Amino acid sequence: MSSFVVDKKGIKRYAVTIGVNGSEYTKVIKANTLLVNFLREDLDLTGTKRGCELGDCGCCTVMMDGKPVNSCLVLAMDCDGHEITTAEGIQDGEDLDIVQEKFVEHAAFQCGFCTSGMIVSSRALLNENPNPTDHDVREAIAGNLCRCTGYVNIVAAVLDAAKEL
Amino acid sequence: MKEYKVIGKSVRRLDAVEKATGTAGFTSDMKLPGMLYGKVLRSPHPHARIVSIDTSEAEKLPGVKAVATHKNTSRELFNTSATMTFTVPPMQPVLDQYIFDNVVRYVGDEVAAVAATSEKIAEAALKLIKVEYELLPTVYDPKEAMTTEAPVIHQCEMKNVPGEVIQIPFGDVEKGFAESDVIVEKEYKLPVVKQAQMETQAAVAQVSLDGKITVWCTTQTPHPTKMILAKLFSVPESKVRVLNPPYIGGGFGVRIGCSAKAEPIAVALSMLAKKPVKVVYSREEDFIASDTRHAGYVSVKLGAKKDGTFHAMHLKATLNGGAYCSFSVETPGVLGCMGLAVYRVPNQFYYGHSAYTNTTPAGAMRGFGNPQAMYAIESTVDMMAEKLGIDPLELRLKNIMQVGDPWVLPYKCGSTGLAECIEKGAKSIGWENRGKLNKPGAKKLRGIGMGVGTHVSNAWPFCGDYDNAYVTIQQDGSVHLASGVPDMGTGTSTTLPQLTAEVVGVSLDRVSMTLADTASTPFDIGSHASRALYAAGTAVVEAARDARRQVLEYAADLFKVAPERLVLEDSVIFPAGQTAGDDCAGSPVCTIGGKERKSITLKELAYDAHQRNKQFIGVGRIVPENAPPWHAHFAEVEVDTELCQVRVLRVAAVHDVGKAIHPVICEGQIEGGVLQGIGYALSEEIKYDDRGRQLENSFHKYMLPTADDVPEIETGLVEAHEPSGPFGAKGVGECGLVPTAPAITNAIYNATGIWFCEIPVTEEKMFRALKEKAGKTV
Repeated sequence: MSSFVVDKKGIKRYAVTIGVNGSEYTKVIKANTLLVNFLREDLDLTGTKRGCELGDCGCCTVMMDGKPVNSCLVLAMDCDGHEITTAEGIQDGEDLDIVQEKFVEHAAFQCGFCTSGMIVSSRALLNENPNPTDHDVREAIAGNLCRCTGYVNIVAAVLDAAKEL
Repeated sequence: MKEYKVIGKSVRRLDAVEKATGTAGFTSDMKLPGMLYGKVLRSPHPHARIVSIDTSEAEKLPGVKAVATHKNTSRELFNTSATMTFTVPPMQPVLDQYIFDNVVRYVGDEVAAVAATSEKIAEAALKLIKVEYELLPTVYDPKEAMTTEAPVIHQCEMKNVPGEVIQIPFGDVEKGFAESDVIVEKEYKLPVVKQAQMETQAAVAQVSLDGKITVWCTTQTPHPTKMILAKLFSVPESKVRVLNPPYIGGGFGVRIGCSAKAEPIAVALSMLAKKPVKVVYSREEDFIASDTRHAGYVSVKLGAKKDGTFHAMHLKATLNGGAYCSFSVETPGVLGCMGLAVYRVPNQFYYGHSAYTNTTPAGAMRGFGNPQAMYAIESTVDMMAEKLGIDPLELRLKNIMQVGDPWVLPYKCGSTGLAECIEKGAKSIGWENRGKLNKPGAKKLRGIGMGVGTHVSNAWPFCGDYDNAYVTIQQDGSVHLASGVPDMGTGTSTTLPQLTAEVVGVSLDRVSMTLADTASTPFDIGSHASRALYAAGTAVVEAARDARRQVLEYAADLFKVAPERLVLEDSVIFPAGQTAGDDCAGSPVCTIGGKERKSITLKELAYDAHQRNKQFIGVGRIVPENAPPWHAHFAEVEVDTELCQVRVLRVAAVHDVGKAIHPVICEGQIEGGVLQGIGYALSEEIKYDDRGRQLENSFHKYMLPTADDVPEIETGLVEAHEPSGPFGAKGVGECGLVPTAPAITNAIYNATGIWFCEIPVTEEKMFRALKEKAGKTV
């Protein structure tokens, strides 16, 4: 259990240490703080988007210990001691990750609002399965809604990225 | 034909790296020092008078900095849509709403708003506002809304009909039907659907102490939105700055004008609190309180000669406008004009309008009335084909509009590649296999269908429409473009620089663009009506030509030749007929920095000009024409008669886009439109319960197609040169959605023998229809 402080109104706040994109952050948060808000508001990592806050759209997808999760459905407290990877952390140093590179090359985005979540889900898939079929890709991103592209170039980009892994 | 260096090529999008790394700026990501969070109290009732409203408890909550209601905010009537800034005289814009009123007209209507130091405190404060309502009678159907029993939602000349009825006569329709051999008549019912753009409505407003207002927001039209806000808050337009930061998470028409009421509410709260205020709609608010597509009824009566020649058509539309007007006058106008523009029919008549109801306001959504028209017309054309015993494809080829044909629009049909689109699409889908796909007794039935259509490339004659642009040569010879259009994902931040680079004669990496900011770009109507590339692009080409002309005139002085003899290519200027660096004696030379030169780079020239106190500033000011893009869609479906499910297996979508400035962007627009069209045909619908509440108000209930639902989409481009467009280009943005639904429903008929005159074709509708066909009652 994380250590906590109690404020004048009797509300508990918990000290958590969460690994995000390779750095450790220790913050004092309320028990009901959502991971998406922790990332966006406390760490200013706005690459992770809020599209619905109900776990429907996938815009807020991040990796928790390598697995894709909707960060609007995860409490920040539950990430204490865990490693989170956001869209900003996919990049490999100065270079784009192969998934990002292929999204750029295939124009696998239009408005760009779903793109962060889409790239995180795709990267998580390729980490698990470096040789996905068309169906595997569609299944992996079925929880990420895109209203612009018809998903055509997204699927092409992920399959193309897999070829170069 | 001229070889282009930059246009016509699918270059890397200039917004790609930012978007792929999560660093692209969106309104909902913004944070300013001291910024407060705004939340809105919405009506739980579909129609009610506010008897009293008590905000005292909310104001006392620590962290609350302002509470806004109808009592302390602007009493200026307005319209959240940009129609209030560009309605074409003699028509008058319909101004029918306040930021907050003492009457609420739909579930979700704005009652009050709170600005507080956190979202949570603002939400808690909303619960402390006490409102007493007196309930009023309601109506939800547009036909019922026009009856004498229905409550008056707004005072109108014709009961609950905003603006005026659109009537378009062409030839003599009564005589036309009398002379027709075969007549088909049908009424179609259309659902409420939602743009469902991924970024919800959002605005951040900052009001400075000297009264200047800056609003970062998700609008598709920063300049018109500036005009709306200036009028609403009675400040000079010069003191209002509206901008995107710089991207928008999709639009599809939902924010032409204000982003629902995000901007007005953020500004009102910021004025009261004297701090920056951010308002971001939740997904539910986006569903219930920002414009939908118009639902309603469209009926078609089509008359033809025995040989298949169309002779008369009567089109009628009664659309559900919802509680406030938004685009409820223009949408039936576009519905009629587009519906009447596809086929050469000598005798036509259109009668259409909207009616107010106690539902979420309906406004602009991709296609703007056209998908409603073409679902009805293309279904009727297939019925006619069957009645005549003519192949539906042949019937269309026989009747489609040709260049120079008279039509109802005030501009010419200057180009059409529709016949080629139809032929290519038919080949791609395998039209010859139509009717041969099913074995006797099969439980899964397959069918092929088609639909065609046209659209606009800008908003005139339905709205006022003009564009400006600046192209400025920087002191190092690089090029800056300023255009007031946003990039809501459609790629304008790439394609407009492409046009600039091509015209000026530099590579794309030398061009940078400022977009969608009223303070640093000249007036532009904005991104809607498939117009950004066609219309704003025409202004950009004009500005780039102007800048290039100034450069060459300046260089002509140095070379001592006529400017027409000079070439500017790849940022190098040299006399025609001589390649850069060529050492041919006797050719013109320019003297710069004391040295004689056969050529000069744009970088050197711009700096030389700078040293002589001069900059090249190109200005483009244009009033665009309009032009028809064309499209033919073919769908192959499989109907599972046991599960009552329809699956789209393949879509072939061939579009005449004029010159494709960036082919991959064109194809992306089409693919996205196709998928939205599949949703329109099969799964997307918002229904209301008997208390006016949306039954589908989240992505959990409103069924958007996912990556798993996408059929094979074969996209084809036909490039019929459009004389009025930049480099021959036309609009493309909305077209993919227009003929998709009828291609699918016609394919369903081909598979099952059942006409669906109401979409979406859900499992429930299919179940009932199959039972009825089998002669059983449900």
